[in-house]
This record gives sequence, C-alpha cells and structure tokens, in this order.
Amino acid sequence: MSSFAIVDSSVHGDLKVNTSRGVEFGDNLMFTMTYPMEFRDIQSCYPIFFSKDPETGQFYPVALLGFEDQTNLFLNDDQWDATYIPMTVRRQPFLIGFQADPDKGEGATKPVVSIDMDSPRVSNGDGESLFTEDGKPSEFLQKTIGTLEAIHRGLEHNKGFITALLEHDLLESFSLEITLKDGSNNKLMGFYTIAEEKLQSLDGETLAKFNTQGYLQSIYMAMASFSRIRPMIDKKNAALD
Amino acid sequence: MNHTINRIVIVGGGTAGWLSAGIIAAEHRITADSTGHSFDLTIVESPDIPTIGVGEGTWPSMRSTLQKMGISETDFFRECSASFKQGTLFKGWRNGGDDTYCHPFSAPHGYTEVNLAPHWQPSRDQIGFADAVSPQSALFADRQAPKQISTPEYAFNVNYGYHLDAGKFAEFLRKHCVEKLGVTHIKANVTGINSAENGDIAAIETDSHGAIEGDLFIDCSGQRALLIGDHFDIPLQSKHNILFNNTALAAQVAYDSDSDAIESCTLSTAQSAGWIWDIGLPTRRGIGHVYSSDHNTEERASDELLSYIAKTVSKNAAASATMRKVHFSPGHRAKFWHKNCVAIGMSAGFIEPLEASALVLVELSASMIAEQLPANRDVMDLVAKRFNDKFLYRWDRIIEFLKLHYILSQRQDSEYWRDNRDAASIPDNLRDLVELWRHQSPWHRDTNSADEMFPSASFQYVLYGMDFETQPSTTQRRSDVIAQAQVQALFQENAQRRAQLQSSLPTNRDLINKIHTYGFQKI
Repeated sequence: MSSFAIVDSSVHGDLKVNTSRGVEFGDNLMFTMTYPMEFRDIQSCYPIFFSKDPETGQFYPVALLGFEDQTNLFLNDDQWDATYIPMTVRRQPFLIGFQADPDKGEGATKPVVSIDMDSPRVSNGDGESLFTEDGKPSEFLQKTIGTLEAIHRGLEHNKGFITALLEHDLLESFSLEITLKDGSNNKLMGFYTIAEEKLQSLDGETLAKFNTQGYLQSIYMAMASFSRIRPMIDKKNAALD
Repeated sequence: MNHTINRIVIVGGGTAGWLSAGIIAAEHRITADSTGHSFDLTIVESPDIPTIGVGEGTWPSMRSTLQKMGISETDFFRECSASFKQGTLFKGWRNGGDDTYCHPFSAPHGYTEVNLAPHWQPSRDQIGFADAVSPQSALFADRQAPKQISTPEYAFNVNYGYHLDAGKFAEFLRKHCVEKLGVTHIKANVTGINSAENGDIAAIETDSHGAIEGDLFIDCSGQRALLIGDHFDIPLQSKHNILFNNTALAAQVAYDSDSDAIESCTLSTAQSAGWIWDIGLPTRRGIGHVYSSDHNTEERASDELLSYIAKTVSKNAAASATMRKVHFSPGHRAKFWHKNCVAIGMSAGFIEPLEASALVLVELSASMIAEQLPANRDVMDLVAKRFNDKFLYRWDRIIEFLKLHYILSQRQDSEYWRDNRDAASIPDNLRDLVELWRHQSPWHRDTNSADEMFPSASFQYVLYGMDFETQPSTTQRRSDVIAQAQVQALFQENAQRRAQLQSSLPTNRDLINKIHTYGFQKI
C-alpha cells in the first residue's frame, strides 16, 4: 500500500530516503514507463515497447527490464547493471501530486512533491536527507524535483506522441518467442510496437510534421532499441549456467 | 431492357431504414462516376411520423455490422446510451416460481468438437446446464462486463451484443450514413407511387421533393408498410395461432442512483399471460410487458408490470412510470421482395421480442441485399426468389424457436400457459424435433442451413434450461468412450475460466463509465 504526503520541511526535516537498489525496494520490475525525452538513453540499454494501462486502456511507452512478471534482468542483488536507470525508477519514492491553487483561480492546480511514507526506502535511519539543517531543500531533493518535473513534462509528451501514433495506425501488437539454451520456451505477450510497414508508407507531409514534432526521432529510437533484446536473452541464458 | 440497378431508395428512416442504408453503403461505394459505376442511396424520411424505436437488444452480429460501417465502438457507446448484453436470463418460465435459466451468447465450451449435453445429463441435479458449459451465466449474476477497458474495440473475453436506446441509435446512424457514407437524406412525406409498365415502382411522389426515381425501393415504413402493403397488397401471414402475444405495455424507468448496477443480460420474467422484458441502459431501464390480449386484460397486465417495477426498482419508480401501449399482429408478409421492392423491419413482419430478433433480421436482410445486389432488372427476380425463400425459412425458424420457450413450460396457473402447450398451436416441425430430442440432444446436424438463425447450441440452452430430459443413448457409442477424458477436461476448463473471468472483469457499469472517460483502443 502507499500513503502519500506532501513534502514539507517542518514535518520531514529528519526523514531519510534510501537510494540503494534491490528487490526489497520494489526494483524487481518487468517493465517501467518511459518518455520520448529519455528514449536516447533508454534505447542504449533496454528495448522500448508500448503497453496499455489496465485501468484506462491508454497506451504508454515502456522500457522492458525482464521477460516475466517481477523479474528485472538488470538487477543484480544491490546493483543495477546498466549505464542508465529510467526516470520512473529513480523517482521512487516520490511522486508529483496536484494541489488546489486558489491564487490562479477556481479549479486551478499546482504541482507539489509528494512522498510515499509507506515505501521501504523511507525511514529516519540511513539515506539521503530531504532538507539541509537550515530547512532548505537538499541537493538530493533538488535533483529529485528535477526528475519529477521531467516526468511531468514526459507524461504530456507521451499523450501527444501516442495520439499521433494511433492516428496513423503506427502501433501493432506483437509477441516474442524466446527459446533459451535449455530448450525452454518463453512467450512475451501483451506489448505493442511500431508498425514498420505503416511507417514506410507514410506520406512526406506527415513525415515532415513528425520530424518537426520530434516524433520521428522517437519512433526510430524505439525501433532501434530492439537490438537490446538479444543481450537480455544472453543474461537469461547466462543465469542457467 | 438491361436496366442496371444503381439507384436505391429507402422509404422510412427509423432504425430499420438507417441500419439498412449503412449496411448497403458500407458495401457499395456511393459515387457519381461518369464511367458508369455510379451508385446512389437515398432515404426518404417523413418529418411528421415519429419512429417507434423497436428493438433495444441486439445480437453479437451487431458488432461486425457496426465495424464494417466504419463506426467507432466508443462513439457508439457514448452516443447511443449503449450497454453490454451477454444473453438472456429467463425467470419463472418453468413453473412460475423463482426458477431461472440462462441463454448466453457463447456456445458451450469445446462446442466445435464435443457435445457436452449428454455428459452433463447425469449431473443435472447438481449444476445447471449453462453453468456447466459456459462461464457467462456467472457473469450475468454479478452484472459483469464481457471485456476490459484494455480489450480493443469490438474484441471480447466473452461474446456480447448490445442494449441500446433505439431513438438515439437511429439518429447516430443517420449522422454516420450522411456524413461518412454519402447517403442522401430527404425529409418528405410520400404522397403517391408511380408505376412502371412492368408493374415495378418507377418513382415515389413526395409532398416537398417531387418524384424520386429509383431502381430498387426498400420499404422501411414500419407497420404502415406503404410499399409492400398499401401499394403491392402483399398479405400479412398471421402467426397468432402459434405465438399468442399481441400487445405490449412499455415503460422507461429511471435508476435510483447513477451508480446502480446495470444488468449485463436481458431479463425475461414470465407472467400469468405473457412476460416482462427488463433492459438495462446506462441512463435508464426499459421495462415492458408483452402479453396476449385474448388471455389478459390491459388493467391486469398493467398491474403486473407495475408490481414488477415496484419489486425490482422501487415503489416510487412504479408510481411515476408512464406506459405506452403498442398493439401488433404477430406474423410476417407472405413474401418480402416483390418486383423491385423489398420490405425490411416492421413492414416485413413483427413478433414478440423474446429473442431480440427484430434488429438481427434487419441486419441479415440488408446484408443479403448488399451482397446479392442484382446487377440489372433481368436478374432481380432471381435474387428476389432467393431472398424470399431464405427469409421465409428464417421466420419459420424464429417462430419455432420462440414457441419452444412456451411448450416446455410446466406452468399450470393460467389458460395462457395451457393453451401454449395445446398440440394444435405447435408447428409440426417443432413437434417432431422435440420428439427426437427426447432421445438425442440437439447437435450440429440438426440444422439444415450454414447460416442458421439459431444454432443447435441455442436449442440446448433453452431445452436443458427448461428441465427437458433427453434419454441416455441405448447403444454404447465408441465416440463417447474416446470423449470421456476430453469431456472432464472441458468441464474443468470451463470452471477455471469462469473463476478467472469473475476475478478479472469489471462490472458493466464500471466499464461503461470508463468507455465514456477513456474510450476503447482500436488495437
């Protein structure tokens, strides 16, 4: 369970956040949401697919971390075995929440930084402080706020990006059969990917528009990221030894 | 004269008219092409006559019908107050008490390979037939949806059709037909008919748009039957001697609150001389009593309806309910396609909505016209004969299937139920089938046609739901021995699938709310 509180120096002065990696901190993720702005870094480590939110049916891009539920092939005890860690993982245990902003008129909201008080990362013991001794946000908190702001913008980018992809039928469902060296078969299902044939038949006007919007680069990065599947299969095979 | 058929005129703009227009225009592109490939479809709708709005329940076939027309399922749900229908739950049909059974849209598990009915018979006292072979009866009980918000549009976890607001549906189809499919919409009253030398209709005269010519005229004018009845005098064949119901009292009832559960099947509750339908839309419930005026007075029928509403909704709802009375003659035209005129919808025939056959007949009629559209006048009579043969056959099958619901009843509480079992009221073919089914359960070869209205599965659901007994086979069948292991696996798989669906599917209400907020994805 989660219980979120708005981060406040007068309440959370002594709070510490443990930034270690590990299963006990919920890092054993099969996939995690990502955003076009970090695709360049993501595609150098992980395959990028698209998944549906089971609660809303809406698509969003994901970085694939494993082939089965609760299996992160990049997590090696307390090490995250990759050069880049996705923003949605790094943000834990923080979240952007929204609070009424009466200064800006009725119904207006402003983003506020919230923390999950039930997260195993949160304690009064070891970890990073949120505030300095004189009550100013610590460097750690400032960096986290930067990540949260980037995620907030990323969510908006995703909406536009996904809408454009769907409008041109550029997503298609896909399944991956993985045969490991012990002969066992694993099937990865329920993910979606760029429909390359549709992409190749796009007209010049649409391509030019996609280019201006930055979508074209994101599309090709997602396609290029497929080459990251092989190293993940290798990791799985290596684990069989 | 080798007169090509490329101008279709539909008279009447209710659900039947617009659905037919959409189905035909989805197949034949409307163009004004100088090379001779022109095709034109016009609907002439009276601005003065309100539509009746028959048929608030569809079959699963409506999904592919809408999809072919290029309609977004999300738009359909949002604009037609649609909800999910997974079949029908019959109450009180066996003995008038709290007996119930389900006729779900999904066929019994493994139906293409194994007939589970004889294998279910030994355990009939422990588990109902539908419960044993389909996961859907459990979903009825919990008012669950047949899919999730992440399921693509028109796809499903379990088979479904719709409940819808017929008035909104006609308007929704009109917009789609005119804006997307190029159908011409003329608002005018028909004032006369101009005949051609061969007796065909050459044109219809209208009050505000003069004469409208056409090669094929589709009569969707409802019970008035302007073309097939008034003009051509094709008689109605009464089926009142088989199906007694000829009057309906219809009411629209508000929910107590916006969060009330929406049924995911049609409820059909037997009464003293008829039955009550109860159809849950997101916005309201459509509840009505269809009965035989020979066996019941309007006053008593109305009392039964109000007491149903008071019991299932609330006393307030019953007190404020307004009823509309509709009288109909159960039956159909002696033929539906005559010269260059085809009747679709209520002009073709009408029967109590016990298995929601009204809209599916419109879909099937319009699809056959779209598919078999005669190239020219010379071959039209051949297509017309095929059409008439096919739909006379279909009407007979519908009538027999509806009658089956009545003759299996054990109710003794009124003349109505006893009269319904009178041998003189039962068609010969149905009587023979029921006799046969006492010794062998319905199976694929029982049906003659590849596109039969009701598959043998439907007969199984009704027969065994109504407690009908088929005697065990008198010979040892080798196929049974082979099937035995497979059969147990199928029963178990069904139970597992039911449990899995019960835990993963949202309620009808929840999913409809999500469709309104997020919509379905196309993939």
